[in-house]
Amino acid sequence: MNPFVFHVPTKIAFAEGAGSSTCEIVKELAGNKALIITDKPLLEGGYLTSVLEGFEDMPHVIFSDVPSDSDVDCVNTIAELARTEECDCIVAIGGGSVMDTAKVVNICLTLGGEILEYQGLNNIAEQLLPLVAVPTTAGTGSEVSMVAMVKDHTEGKKLLFGSRYLAPSVAILDPLLTVSLPPKLTAATGLDALTHAIESYVAVISNSVFTDSLCTDSARMVFENLRTATKNGADIEARSQMLVASTMAGVAFTNSGVGVVHALAHSMGAKFGTHHGIANSIFLPHGILFNMDIAAERYARLARMVGVSKSTKDLTATKDLLDAIEQLCIDCGLPRRLRDAGVPELNNSDIEELVVLAVSDPAIMFNPKDCSEKDIQELYERAY
Amino acid sequence: MQFFANSDELHHVMNELWMRIGRDPDMLEKLLASKLIVQFQYREPEGRVTIDCSDGIEMRVSTGEQLLKPIVEMSMKADVAHEFWLGKVNVPFAIVSGKIVSRGPVQKALTLLPVIKPAFDIYPNVISQFKTVTA
Repeated sequence: MNPFVFHVPTKIAFAEGAGSSTCEIVKELAGNKALIITDKPLLEGGYLTSVLEGFEDMPHVIFSDVPSDSDVDCVNTIAELARTEECDCIVAIGGGSVMDTAKVVNICLTLGGEILEYQGLNNIAEQLLPLVAVPTTAGTGSEVSMVAMVKDHTEGKKLLFGSRYLAPSVAILDPLLTVSLPPKLTAATGLDALTHAIESYVAVISNSVFTDSLCTDSARMVFENLRTATKNGADIEARSQMLVASTMAGVAFTNSGVGVVHALAHSMGAKFGTHHGIANSIFLPHGILFNMDIAAERYARLARMVGVSKSTKDLTATKDLLDAIEQLCIDCGLPRRLRDAGVPELNNSDIEELVVLAVSDPAIMFNPKDCSEKDIQELYERAY
Repeated sequence: MQFFANSDELHHVMNELWMRIGRDPDMLEKLLASKLIVQFQYREPEGRVTIDCSDGIEMRVSTGEQLLKPIVEMSMKADVAHEFWLGKVNVPFAIVSGKIVSRGPVQKALTLLPVIKPAFDIYPNVISQFKTVTA
């Protein structure tokens, strides 16, 4: 059996309407003045009313200008606001960008100094201020993960922060807050969750029986519920299943890591702004095919456990898994090639740049099979 | 019991290892291309090894305290480093379990992991030579 360490530092609370208890939870964490971080469409669309009503009798300040691709400038602006307002706890309501921004703001607010000083892995060695994460998408797993990424637009790079202290104190899972998510984003974020589950399951040097259980159940829940959640966003049961599946896969990947699919998707996001979930959905079958010669037994076991294959032959079961992913993506209206996702034709210079980005992505270290630059290049070409 | 008896031993071995890495044209070319300054900070015993490839022309190896500001810092017990160079450390696990701490743009340093893998074959020779000398 692999050696493993399994952390779940985040308390997880799920209920329909749980968002309305956010303020109570903040008070339980001894927060006196909350910094609420969210984005404009959520705030102005009135989707957060149930959450914000609870804060009427508690001092708080709201920052709602987090962009979809958050950066260092945004983090510094929010941290400055929080210092001026003397906030002592943070509430992040939104998707991955909002939650990652909140985590990095928490570093700045608690530890002070320059943000660049804290990038790295295990580089934060003390407890940060309480952070409550309320996801409004079902896919990123950021509400329970111990990592955060924000862009440094000046340098054109993504900064990586990884520490167990970055994990939110509490994740509040309220499916009612995800019903406004449009079908395309529901599908894309759902495929992000599925990719977390599958890549964590085959991260053979770092997985454990704990992460295995989370991966298989979360993948099954995605296969069973993503179509409904995409086609009928008001179906609360499907939304609930997807939200919980996403968080389970988040706990899995923050302990086991992801793999080559995420490395490729991160690079595509950095270079062309391709949505992370869409990029994952396109690269996932290619990543499985690439890893198949050494991980077919794991893919096959997963395929049987999620109910997409009854074959006792590993290669056949893995093929069944690939077919099931393909059909799920088609049913949810997701593009199947990069060219169909708005990516311009890739020239040699683009590919060279993408390869450099992918091989330097920490996700690739957890992939079960070593990836050469040539392998990465071929994966891009196949996915295009 | 820790492998290196003291900082001098640690510095001697790591300096010799990196000098031999610098004599391997394949590894050297890729290390220089990174233009990184990586500092390894060891404890039990204490040690500092700085690899400066910043000018892309020459790789400079130095031990002990340095004024040069590294781009990436990697901190670990000296025994973890010893096991690493023997090819016995599961790096993802060491990172997940907190045995290796990195500071700075760690992505750049991680790209060098496959580059320095051939040094796993060099390290046992460095150790055996070192033991012969100090015996």
